[in-house]
Amino acid sequence: MANVTFPYPFPEHLFALMPEMFVAVIAMALLLLDLFIARDKKAVTAYIAIATSLTAAVLTVQAMMPESVTAFYGFFVLDHFAVLAKVLICLGTAFGMVLSVSYMKEEENVGEFYVLMLFSMLGMMLMVSATNFITMYLGLELMALCIYVLVGYQRDVLRSNEAALKYFILGALSSCMLLYGVTFFYGVTGSFDFIAIGKGLAAAGSGSHTAVMLGLVFIVAGLAFKVSMAPFHMWTPDAYEGAPTSITAFMSVAPKVAGFVVFIRILVDAMPALQHEYTMILTAMAVLTMAVGNLGAIAQRNIKRMLAYSTIGHVGFVMLGLIAANSEGYAGIMVYLTIYLFMTMGAFAVIILMRREGIQGELLDDFAGLSRVRPGYALAMGLLLFSLAGIPFLGGFWAKYVVFMAAVQAGHLYLVLYALLFSAVGAFYYIRVIKYIYFDEEKVAFNFDESRLMQATVVVMTIAVVALGFYPDPLMDLCRQAVAGLI
Amino acid sequence: MDLNNVLGFPILSLSIFLPMFGALVIWLFVRGDRAVRWAALAVSVATFIVTLPLAFMFDKNTAHMQFEELHPWISTFHVNYQLGVDGISMPFIILTSLLTIICIISAWECIQTRVKEYMLAFLVLETTLIGVFCALDAILFYFFWEAMLIPMYLIIGVWGGKNRVYATLKFFLYTLAGSVLMLIAVLAMYFKAGHTFSLLAYMDYPFDFTWQFWIWIAFFIAFAVKVPMWPVHTWLPDAHTEAPTAGSVILAGILLKMGAYGFLRFSLPILPDASQYFVPFMVILSLVAIVYISLVAMMQTDMKRLIAYSSIAHMGFVTLGTFMFTQVALEGALFGMISHGFVAAALFLCVGVMYDRLHTREIAAYGGVANVMPIFAAVIILFAMANVALPGASSFVAEIMVLIGTFDASAITQRICLYR
Repeated sequence: MANVTFPYPFPEHLFALMPEMFVAVIAMALLLLDLFIARDKKAVTAYIAIATSLTAAVLTVQAMMPESVTAFYGFFVLDHFAVLAKVLICLGTAFGMVLSVSYMKEEENVGEFYVLMLFSMLGMMLMVSATNFITMYLGLELMALCIYVLVGYQRDVLRSNEAALKYFILGALSSCMLLYGVTFFYGVTGSFDFIAIGKGLAAAGSGSHTAVMLGLVFIVAGLAFKVSMAPFHMWTPDAYEGAPTSITAFMSVAPKVAGFVVFIRILVDAMPALQHEYTMILTAMAVLTMAVGNLGAIAQRNIKRMLAYSTIGHVGFVMLGLIAANSEGYAGIMVYLTIYLFMTMGAFAVIILMRREGIQGELLDDFAGLSRVRPGYALAMGLLLFSLAGIPFLGGFWAKYVVFMAAVQAGHLYLVLYALLFSAVGAFYYIRVIKYIYFDEEKVAFNFDESRLMQATVVVMTIAVVALGFYPDPLMDLCRQAVAGLI
Repeated sequence: MDLNNVLGFPILSLSIFLPMFGALVIWLFVRGDRAVRWAALAVSVATFIVTLPLAFMFDKNTAHMQFEELHPWISTFHVNYQLGVDGISMPFIILTSLLTIICIISAWECIQTRVKEYMLAFLVLETTLIGVFCALDAILFYFFWEAMLIPMYLIIGVWGGKNRVYATLKFFLYTLAGSVLMLIAVLAMYFKAGHTFSLLAYMDYPFDFTWQFWIWIAFFIAFAVKVPMWPVHTWLPDAHTEAPTAGSVILAGILLKMGAYGFLRFSLPILPDASQYFVPFMVILSLVAIVYISLVAMMQTDMKRLIAYSSIAHMGFVTLGTFMFTQVALEGALFGMISHGFVAAALFLCVGVMYDRLHTREIAAYGGVANVMPIFAAVIILFAMANVALPGASSFVAEIMVLIGTFDASAITQRICLYR
């Protein structure tokens, strides 16, 4: 790897790890500091946490070197790909916290909430820099454990408890499967390092075929759970519905980024020899994921459940980038996830703004007549939903376009045809929400949370989606450069 | 590459984005229904004036694209912002900007709720429609083609009749499902024709027949839904019936032409062998549209449904003329599109006038209108006769040209057409 002289008096590897160390220190300090903040002023904790995640993004960009840097004897890598992923993760976490400030007003507002989000972010940042199954697993578990707690945060609400328990049991099981898969690869190649495993698998003869296949299947299954690919998606609707809405927004974005980045690294570095096999597995799963997500969403009356299925549907489209297995596909995944971050965060912000006394503004019916009461929110939500449906002049169209393009380039024409048909099916349930917003009469009196920060979030997300719809080139270029060093 | 633009000025971009920019200004700065109406009218008239030089400065002696513009848009994927018009697309642009003015005036009295949103939707719709007819880059074309769905979905759904939700969902999903096949065809052509989305490059590229065959089918599905051709026409009567008057006007006047325009812009020049191969197929579908759908139209008791079905039949003439591969039939098809753009739009406006007064679309309820509104009755008869293609009306010119061209092309179609 690169030999770069550093302008700072840090050892090389510490410099690469600076954003992570910063987050860890602040998160621990915040845990103590929180004790001295009065109960009605817990928003201060949140603002510190938001500032921390944004600073972490800036530090990550600053720590970026022209070439990739490895630290701790190859356990940790900071390349352009990791930097882009970390910036996305930090942004996703920061927006998740912004949403939480508004959402938690009516809940028992405790500072640990934001500290847990910070630790989860730290876990994801480690994950995307992992070049090694050990580092990856540590990051993954740090992320997952924090999210289990966050999902079950409303401890007096039955469905929140149910969601957390389901998510925890299935999550723990999937982690076991992942580890079990890793042991097979270790047994065959004698290493945890992605690249060493890749070389070892390429050199391994047909004698170890069964072990390698078992390892592949278990690892793919374990990772598939984390990014909710069918048939490992079962937890998603329940966890999304039960979690506090701001956490739903957070976990539908940031862990997906981390999960897909790890997926890409493992496929590219550790499994190039198994491309034929994993393409087959992923193709079958993508076919299933697109169908489950897009058809499942149609039946939902709760918008959080609907967005959970819609996430599964989007994951199915993102998988086309993995299946394409070319640099366009991986760049496409990053473009998709970036645009998805804006769309989803914006939509969840509107949902949280809609929250009323008693009712939670979660049923589709609750959106009836929004355009008459609040044309501004209605327009924003309408544009975000059209974007999620992938209609042009909005960012969502380009998100789909890039992964479809990559898949066509790799020769998966039929799969893209299938995906396109399901994206038309998917459009149905998004525009059905628009139907409620625009065509129906108001049913219940609205009672909005008039937080300036939230309104700004909605506006920023909508403008980002529209701007990316008209001029996506800079983002595409950025993602292309980020994955350039990967292959 | 030399750009052929006599004006040396991006007039097409201006025509495309002036309505959208106007919509933005109205959205942000104009308050009050009355002011919004005048502002929207001003924007649409300004757009019409901007598009006029396209007609006056048009060089009739060349088949090349004119008023061209070319800028890189998404360099990562070689998508260009490439615009240009030729004799096929130029009349549609003028027709669009003219009909938008009429749509806005027609809504002056009869739209009283959410006036601002209505006007904004029409101005945005105008942007996407002009964009479709100007785009020379396949992705740019698709971009405008699909974006059109957003304002149209809202126009039918918000200001439509009783059954509007069903109609607009059907319209949206039908067209979207059709269009996605166009997207995959375009993506496939990109890699085949050497990493370009330029339609002009596609026209020069010799695609082999098998390839043309499949691409043609994908395009056919997208365009046939939009035209609409039998048997994928069922969204149209619903959409037309439930849409507000101005929505029907723009639907009949422009949206239906987009499908036929697609055949002219994509299928014929890019996939000539496949188009030739599919002539019998297209002829049969067109004839079914002309004969069967005309019979269906006869049975309608709802005035708007009647005009909707008659539109499908008229578009049957257009697709017939398009696929005859004789010059006179093709010219007749083009003429028919423009003519139908005016005639059908006028008829829908007349129905709108009666609907505003009688609040019914039942033909039986329109008895005695001539006693109360004699001049109006004369006008509606004029347009009805024009729709029948009475000699002296523009539709007659169009249909006789298509028929003459068809006689030239095939003895069998001669027979069938004569007995219509």
